[in-house]
Amino acid sequence: MVEITVRKRPRTEAVVTQRKFFKKTARGKVIKVLRERYLRDDVSCGIHSCQVCASEQESVLPSSGLLEHPSFPNGHFLLPDTNVFLSQMDLMESPLFDPPIVLLQTVLEEVRHRSLPLYNRLKALVKADEKKVWVFYNEYRSETAVIREDGESPNDRNDRGIRKATAWYKSHLELSRPAIRGQSRPPQPAVVLLTDDVANRQKAEKEGLPCVSVRKYIEGYKNSSQLLDLLSASGSDTIEPTAAMAIRQALYPEYLPTATLLAGVKSGQLHQGHFNANQYNYLEGSVLVPAFDKPVLLAGRENMNRAVQGDIVAVEVFDEKEWKAPADEVVDQEATLKNDDAEDSEDEGEDDEVLAERKVLNAEAAKQAASSKQPTGRVVGIIKRNWRSYVCHIDSTSLTSTNPTSLSQQTVFATPVSRLLPRIRLRTRQAPALIGQKILVTIDRWERTSRYPEGHFVRALGKVQSKEAEQESLLLEFDVPYRPFGKAILDCLPPEGDKWVVPPKSSTHSDWRDREDLRDLIICSIDPPGCQDIDDALHARRLPNGNVEAGVHIADVSHFVHPDTPMDHEAAARGTTVYLVDKRIDMLPALLGTNLCSLRPHVERLAFSVIWELSPEAEIVNVRFTKSVIASKSAFTYEEAQIRKDDPKLSDELTESIRLLNDLARKLKAGRMAAGALNLASPEVKIQLDSSESSDPVDVEQKELRETNSLVEEFMLLANISVARKIQETFPQTAVLRRHLPPPRTNFEKLQDILKKRKGMTLDVSSSGALAASLDKCVDPNEPAFNTLVRIMATRCMLSAEYFCSGSVARDTFGHYGLASPIYTHFTSPIRRYADVLAHRQLAASIGYSPLHASLHSKSHVERVLEVVNKRHRMAQMASRASIEFYVGLALKARSEKGTVLEDAFVIRTFRNGLGVFVSRLGIEGLVTFKREIQFDADNYTITAPAEDHDVTISVFDKVQVTVEVEQDKNTQRGRVVMYLSKPIDSRRL
Amino acid sequence: MAAVSLSKSERAYIQSSLKAHPPLRADGRGLLDFRTVLLETGVAPLANGSARLNIGKMAREGGGGTEVVAAVKLEVEDVETGDGVDGGRVVCSVTCSPAAYSHLSSNALDELQHDLSVILQQTIAHPTLHPTLHPKNLTIIPRKKAWLLNLDAVVLADAGNVVDALFMAARAALWDAKVPRTRAVQYRAPETLKSPRNDAPGAMDVDEGTSGFDTRDMARTAADFELPDYWDEGEVLDGRDKWPICVTLNLLPSVHLLDATLAEEASIPLRLHLMFSFAPSAPPILQSMRLLGPAELELKDLKDSIAVGERYAKELFTALESKLREEDNRRNIKARDRFALMR
Repeated sequence: MVEITVRKRPRTEAVVTQRKFFKKTARGKVIKVLRERYLRDDVSCGIHSCQVCASEQESVLPSSGLLEHPSFPNGHFLLPDTNVFLSQMDLMESPLFDPPIVLLQTVLEEVRHRSLPLYNRLKALVKADEKKVWVFYNEYRSETAVIREDGESPNDRNDRGIRKATAWYKSHLELSRPAIRGQSRPPQPAVVLLTDDVANRQKAEKEGLPCVSVRKYIEGYKNSSQLLDLLSASGSDTIEPTAAMAIRQALYPEYLPTATLLAGVKSGQLHQGHFNANQYNYLEGSVLVPAFDKPVLLAGRENMNRAVQGDIVAVEVFDEKEWKAPADEVVDQEATLKNDDAEDSEDEGEDDEVLAERKVLNAEAAKQAASSKQPTGRVVGIIKRNWRSYVCHIDSTSLTSTNPTSLSQQTVFATPVSRLLPRIRLRTRQAPALIGQKILVTIDRWERTSRYPEGHFVRALGKVQSKEAEQESLLLEFDVPYRPFGKAILDCLPPEGDKWVVPPKSSTHSDWRDREDLRDLIICSIDPPGCQDIDDALHARRLPNGNVEAGVHIADVSHFVHPDTPMDHEAAARGTTVYLVDKRIDMLPALLGTNLCSLRPHVERLAFSVIWELSPEAEIVNVRFTKSVIASKSAFTYEEAQIRKDDPKLSDELTESIRLLNDLARKLKAGRMAAGALNLASPEVKIQLDSSESSDPVDVEQKELRETNSLVEEFMLLANISVARKIQETFPQTAVLRRHLPPPRTNFEKLQDILKKRKGMTLDVSSSGALAASLDKCVDPNEPAFNTLVRIMATRCMLSAEYFCSGSVARDTFGHYGLASPIYTHFTSPIRRYADVLAHRQLAASIGYSPLHASLHSKSHVERVLEVVNKRHRMAQMASRASIEFYVGLALKARSEKGTVLEDAFVIRTFRNGLGVFVSRLGIEGLVTFKREIQFDADNYTITAPAEDHDVTISVFDKVQVTVEVEQDKNTQRGRVVMYLSKPIDSRRL
Repeated sequence: MAAVSLSKSERAYIQSSLKAHPPLRADGRGLLDFRTVLLETGVAPLANGSARLNIGKMAREGGGGTEVVAAVKLEVEDVETGDGVDGGRVVCSVTCSPAAYSHLSSNALDELQHDLSVILQQTIAHPTLHPTLHPKNLTIIPRKKAWLLNLDAVVLADAGNVVDALFMAARAALWDAKVPRTRAVQYRAPETLKSPRNDAPGAMDVDEGTSGFDTRDMARTAADFELPDYWDEGEVLDGRDKWPICVTLNLLPSVHLLDATLAEEASIPLRLHLMFSFAPSAPPILQSMRLLGPAELELKDLKDSIAVGERYAKELFTALESKLREEDNRRNIKARDRFALMR
């Protein structure tokens, strides 16, 4: 008879094979989760040429381990505990640190449980080529699996599992290198448990397992002096306790436990939001929370309670009678805390700095403008830290003065480039070498007893003011991914490389499937000078019925970038191309961006076309979308196109086409303005570079706007709106759209008040149309630039536009406030924006060209991608602005060497001790501070300063003249723009 | 309960053999003997407590007997929205497998399920009739969150005496049930806002009480709870000793017998279900009682029956209790030891 055995595992093994745990869901339900595990005995140890584990896989660990460490002469492998990865990730990532590492599954899972960002870094580390990391699945190997004892905490269980795996490796190595009779036992490499957990170390020692702390291990390692700097501050504590921590007076209130915070937030007694530091006053910050219209003000160190820009914090709001107005004084950290000493700033007596700070705070408390009070509160806990690496300079005065060139370890201050961040205290042995360099510093922790956060040095970027260092620091500061494209990504490019051409027309070739042949159309592109990634081209022609056919042709990027490929993932992660003054960080490899996709003239290119039939009044009669093949007839700059259009002698087809387009664009614009679109302004300047090689800025000039700029813009808007309608119709749940929410009315209160008091003008913010109309009326006949200034200030009051997934928000919030369009998307620049690529894919699917990839049917996926794209977009804008500022600084420096730079400026803010001014010709904002007392009228936005014979009153919107200088900060080597008032009074004497 | 069609002569034959001296039963048992009872707890790993119980399994054939599976599953309920009840609630339901009652129509099956559910619900989970049985640790946050305890039983096969089996299985599952430990978290506003620096940890704190046992200190402001240890099965359900068991007296005037088979049930005119609860160091409590069948019973006889019923129930209870403790032991300590030995 056939024997039948049941392979089902008996329930008696349940305690070993089943892992049960509870999970609390977001909705407050408790779920019991059951995981089965199958123990096996063929999980490989990963050591090369191991006789016991005959493994097919590639073993990454060298058979004798690492021989160079003096403590382990027979060679060793490192088996790090979880805490090593949680606190010393920079060390583990350093290219100088490359011992063979056994990474346990237990550790991997614990890291994931504790911190997702660290887990992602750890995963990248495992994959990195230069590292020797072997992941050992100890929970699945029968000898190393552990089950939880009664009353054992998860932490203890994991520690036990780690020790068990260490012990197993030890016996496994003995087993795989048996002593041969008559010979001495071959040298046995050790498996060393690396942990900073003292208790775990003690237990391991008791069990006879070799173990070592991180610091001890690194001290014996080659390159130890460089690696020791990478150790995070928390690791060093157990080894060399400094002045007794407990005795030290706590400077900050303690945080509440996380669970309490969440309960408080849930019950509405606490508020959660992002912490925003005030860039004018380092003793003040604010948190925008949903419960209040105005952000919650946090005044003073104790109330900010160790929050750092970008952290998600929980704040408690005080009673309304204790609410304050934000300070109207400029408080500079460097000026106030000049004498603070890095070494002993823990000794918090009533020293000068504290007194100085208190004075500043008291001064503020004394006078309270009756208006403009806002919710005031304090930080009671941190929901999530958003610490990253910051670009800093070493403060040279914080170096030990006795021996400035000493290589011993010393504590110094690092001043972040961003004004929003506090100084960071770090210990380093390379302090003298780091002076005058830009360095990258990570914050490790911020104790209650320490006034400043503690951090560690990550790496040096290069000399201050050198272009490479400045550029890299800028990219790092704004978190722009700038590494060259990897091989996997480049493999996604067409194999023909730059030899790729549109194949000859045939009905069978897949590239020509469902494509319209538009090669004979008179198509041209209009772009800024020097533009290499041309992603749009236009055409227009009259139809026999009196209507006009106009077409916008967009580079067909989705033909080359397919969903779910490495190139697609990279593009999604980069989100956008970043334009710096002298560098472009591409979203897609250059072969696509500047060649194969770019709609260059006189070559055939694949395009995605939107073709309208417009009435002579520019009303849409019909619109269709099609994939096409085009051959652009010419690539104009805005200027060339303008000249060509205006030249009455020319009447060729191309010129006529531009004129026709221009005619339509004017009507489209008029229609848009009538619908209530805003004409916004932002300070835009152009950096004139000497030549492309030297990239030394010669001068700054204001960007010029021509009619042809607006021509292209109008048609792009039209295309975007038409596409948005189409994809929203087809994919109502997942369409990729863009919206601009109407700003809350309170945002305009201040501006309305200033305009009313200073100029007697009113701003109607009830709708975008009303705002546009009232902005048009804000004209000062004597001062043409005044209108632009108001527009800039109004723009600052608005929210920023964002991408969103149509299924995620209510239908009535789709609208674009600035454009006064009920629906909008980005479709026209797929080479440099990832959202456009998604829109292309959705449009292609909605016209039946290709099926939509499954990921674009998933709301959560689209939301996730767009969240990244939104963030990258914001960062990219800030990066390019910062890049321009840097070059403006360089240009100013060059100019001021030749003589004083005098510029006209508008006063945009008044402070108790200074003025905020805007230099429109340079597009920069600056601060003018007065050392002497001046009269300040907060309600009327004026200051009155004494001059020789009579007092001079200056108010917001006044035109003044300032001297602009670039001054190098002596301490931080940071070049910064300094402004002095020179007319009507000279502020240097005040 | 389950009507098996039996001819008059068959019925008379069974009745007369039961009344004979010595009484004769088809399987050779004495009148007061139970068939073999098999019990296993923890059969449903995803439940919070579970048990499988079989009465009368044929040792050789590996089948037969009355088989019941009971499982306890806990669910969080919001008291404020009106879904839950402050202090938690217990809901029982019994499902009968159609395979066990292939002769019943689906309507009849529904009725049977309902009858059994009602007996179970009213005996162990009636909020007003039996408040003493209500477990005290079903509160998560007073007046906010509470556990809903679902006790679900499935009758997989019926070979007689299903009510006794049902109650034993229910008791075993409830004994096995563990309530996940929760910790209420709350936020209490500091009393003095004037001195923001003076907030020693006393001003706000997390309630450290493990669970609903100690509800005095729990502040009204507790808003939410957390699971302090997500690997822990939790603490045992309160009142595990008090859950009642049932013993069924099948009354054939002048004799009574226990653990009747289907054929016996069909031939006996009157059945008395007695549910007793034996709390430690307390007199036994008759929780509930049901009399089924067309025959009559004198009050005096009823009293006598209850008195003997209590004795039988006590025996059954003791046997079940020791088996439950053994099961506990088997599943935890022994299994771990075996795992340790294995390597």
